This record gives sequence, C-alpha cells and structure tokens, in this order.
Amino acid sequence: MRSILLIVAAAIVAVAAGIGAFYVYCAYRNSHAAGAPAAEPLPAGLELRDLDGHPRRFEEWRGKLLLVNFWATWCTPCMHEIPELVKLQSQYSAKGLQVVGAAVDDPDAVRGAVGPLGINYPVLTDSPDAMIGLMEKLGNGPGALPFSVLVSPDGHVLERQLGEFKPAELTALVESHLPPAR
Amino acid sequence: MNRAAAALCAMGAALCCSVAADGLWAKRAGTGPDLLTADDAFRLEAVERQGDSLNVSWNIAPGYYLYRKRLAFQAVQPAGTSLAPPLLPKGELVQDEHEGQTEVYHGALQAQLHWRAGSAVPQRLQVSYQGCAEAGVCYPPQTRLIDVIDLQGTAPDPK
Repeated sequence: MRSILLIVAAAIVAVAAGIGAFYVYCAYRNSHAAGAPAAEPLPAGLELRDLDGHPRRFEEWRGKLLLVNFWATWCTPCMHEIPELVKLQSQYSAKGLQVVGAAVDDPDAVRGAVGPLGINYPVLTDSPDAMIGLMEKLGNGPGALPFSVLVSPDGHVLERQLGEFKPAELTALVESHLPPAR
Repeated sequence: MNRAAAALCAMGAALCCSVAADGLWAKRAGTGPDLLTADDAFRLEAVERQGDSLNVSWNIAPGYYLYRKRLAFQAVQPAGTSLAPPLLPKGELVQDEHEGQTEVYHGALQAQLHWRAGSAVPQRLQVSYQGCAEAGVCYPPQTRLIDVIDLQGTAPDPK
C-alpha cells in the first residue's frame, strides 16, 4: 500500500515539476521574443501634431531606426533622460537614428521646455486622452512616463521601455539595430 | 506513513516552485518594473462632509507619492458653489531634481475643505492630483468628479 502511495506521489511531483519547467520555458521564450526583430508591426496610421499644429505621421520615418520617447515637463525622470536622447540624436542621426519626442503635456509648457533642454529632434503632441490612448496602444498599460518605443526601419516594435533607459544600455541597443550603412 | 507524508510535502514544494517560477518570469517579461495604474497607486477614497468641512482622502500605495502642489479642488455642483483654499497636512520635504524643494505625500492623505461664506454646500467636487512611483516613473495629472457623502445625513444648508 505504501509503495503505491509513493509511486502516485512521485508521479504527481514529476508532473508538477514538468509544469514548472514548461512555465519557465514559455516565459523565457516570450521575454526574449520581445526584443526580436520579428516583433509586431507598429500600428498603421499613427499620427500626432507638431508644436505648430501640423500633422506628422510616424510612417514619415520609415527606413530609419525610430525611438519614440513619451515625456512631460511635470515628469522629473523624463526631464532627466532627455539630455541622453539629445546626445543620441546628435551622435547617431547620420547613421539612421531618429528620435521623436511625444509630449503628454500642455503644448505651451512643452514649447517653453524645448529650447532650454536643447531638444534637437521633432516634438509632437495631441490631447491628453489621445496621448494616453496611444501609449496604451503601444503597450504602456500603467500609462506612466517616461515610456519609449524603439521601432525598426521596417516599422516593427523592437523594444519597449517603461522608465528611464540606462544610457549605456540604450546606446548598445541603438547600435545593435541601426540600419546598414548605404 | 511518514514516507507518504514526506512525498506529499515534496509534491507541495514542487507545485510552489512551479507557481513561483511562473511569477518570476512573468515579471521579467514585462516592459519594466511592475507598476500600478494611477487609480490603484493613488486611490481616491471619498469626499465626506462632516459639519462645515469636506474631507477628501486618498490611500497612496507603498512606493508611490503625490505632489502637494499638484492637488487642486473645485466645487462643480450646485452651480455657483465655491471653496476656500484647502487645508493640507504638511508633506515630506524632498529635493527634486527639476521641481526643486517640494512636498510630497506617502500613505494615507486627507485634505480638508471649506466652502466660502454665502456659498451653497458643495454636492460634487472636481479633484485633481499628480504623482509618481519611487521606481522612477510619473503619472499624468488625474482629474476626477466625485460626489460628496454627507455623513450626518442632513439637508445641505447655505452657510
């Protein structure tokens, strides 16, 4: 009787361990697939407005490695991260990187911040609800900032980052995805 | 029988390991730190009338904070109702890289409001607030319309 009980228990342990291993495998596969080039395409038709009110479509930057950074003037970590993005745009724009700032903020506050921050890339915006909706569409469930999305030259989401990038990691990420030199 | 008990314990441990492993990897597969939505991080509990004051309370989740200077209150109903400046508790003074020295609130927060002399008792408020997570992200300004709960059950009187 005891040996039957032991066999049954051992079988249950083996099944539980197998389930655990399967969960780990699936999660590992998913976590690594998030940064793979074969990730999902950027939703079609995304459009915001520049600070003069002109519409700008994200397709405009097809062929470039696009880094969209959602930020706001009331967001201290966003303001902290911007000098790094400015540096990146200077350093890699000739190699095919395009940084775009997507401001979740009052346009007047944004206009007042662009100069002092030395922002050297396009800054776009829309109504607060539209911006929050766009972030949600791009995978930002909590709706917090800063939030960045790296898009491949062929329009696929390569990476999402909620919170600041570590500068060295961001540089390495950009360098690893720059389009081939022509 | 002892062996059977040991085997059952091992089975339990294995199940726990599988669940823990699932949780661990689910966190690593996300877009960053596990974060709450603004509604869960800054839970606006109620607006209660007690005598001649209105108490607005929040329950701020651990690891999150609200800025004192970004709290705003407006009476929206009945028309023509207006509020005096809010009475806010002293916050924790912090040195913010971009805000400078500023006050923030953690945990339970209660603001006390009074309506201006001659104004009707507010029945509905517009409450605005903005905060961040210690993990290094901030949430857009939140605005909510919330009804006043009269704890005394008395009819509103003009003050």
